[in-house]
Amino acid sequence: MLAPRVSQALIRSFSSTARNRLKNRVPEKQKLFQEDNGIPVYLKGGVVDHILYRVTMGLCLGGTAYGVYCLAWASFPRNK
Amino acid sequence: MTHQTHPYHMVNPSPWPLTGALSAFLLTSGLIMWFHFYLTLLLTAGLLASMATMFQWWRDVVRESTYQGHHTPPVQKGLRYGMILFIISEVFFFAGFFWAFYHSSLAPTPQTGGHWPPTGILPLDPMEVPLLNTAVLLASGVTITWTHHSLMEANQKESTQALAMTIALGIYFTLLQMSEYSETPFTISDGIYGSTFFMATGFHGLHVIIGTTFLTMCYIRQQLHHFTPNHHFGFEAAAWYWHFVDVVWLFLYISIYWWGS
Repeated sequence: MLAPRVSQALIRSFSSTARNRLKNRVPEKQKLFQEDNGIPVYLKGGVVDHILYRVTMGLCLGGTAYGVYCLAWASFPRNK
Repeated sequence: MTHQTHPYHMVNPSPWPLTGALSAFLLTSGLIMWFHFYLTLLLTAGLLASMATMFQWWRDVVRESTYQGHHTPPVQKGLRYGMILFIISEVFFFAGFFWAFYHSSLAPTPQTGGHWPPTGILPLDPMEVPLLNTAVLLASGVTITWTHHSLMEANQKESTQALAMTIALGIYFTLLQMSEYSETPFTISDGIYGSTFFMATGFHGLHVIIGTTFLTMCYIRQQLHHFTPNHHFGFEAAAWYWHFVDVVWLFLYISIYWWGS
């Protein structure tokens, strides 16, 4: 049961049998991420990228400061 | 606008190696605070930070490859070497646990009663659920191969079905193991038998969960039309990892479940 070979595999058109299939948005994404705007890939997707980056870095830096504090706290004995 | 004249990938500067390293610190010190003081804030921060790092790092790899076209044949070759070397390192990780098992079981000490399984240990029947688990993983090896061939033949419908079956089998294995864990008459603290059993099968189970997650990501990418019949290394890497997980189980089943009973 072999399907016919697809020559232009990257670009697939939206067909009428695609009831369960999502539309191929890869070409749009390719255009967005290949835009020559100097933005690094980790921020190139838009506003959500910036928010996610800040949250991640905030967690890491804040967490590291809190972690060092915790280890310092744990290093000193307390009365039973 | 400058263009490169070589086929290699010069990556953009990225914050994820740093956030990855910091979240590893949060995870380890978080475990200390939980184990010793029952405080969970640091550990929670570590889990969130590491998951956010993994999500964004791999999201960026997809962007660099599928959307920006950086994964030329030489780059893909490097990725193949990388995945193979990583899997080899995992083989050595499991080798340690198998070493511990054979060290203890080939020459049982007086503490175990001089025989294996030790006195008082009722091992699981290898012909019951463990055998079913073996069949489940072997079947998933077949379905993932079916997925790959369907992918290479541009058969979207069958590759989707076969990949879904593979993932379902992986989840089924995990559920069966969870139920087995709740049924064992022995625990991890029941001597060397308990330790070797749960360390080896426990880490294997974690790798099944990781592999299932990797396959699920491939399923999503397949639906988003990221894979082509000739270029789908993300899926191949997941398939190699899945076969590795299957092989580790076969060693576990034969050594610990079967010979070890």
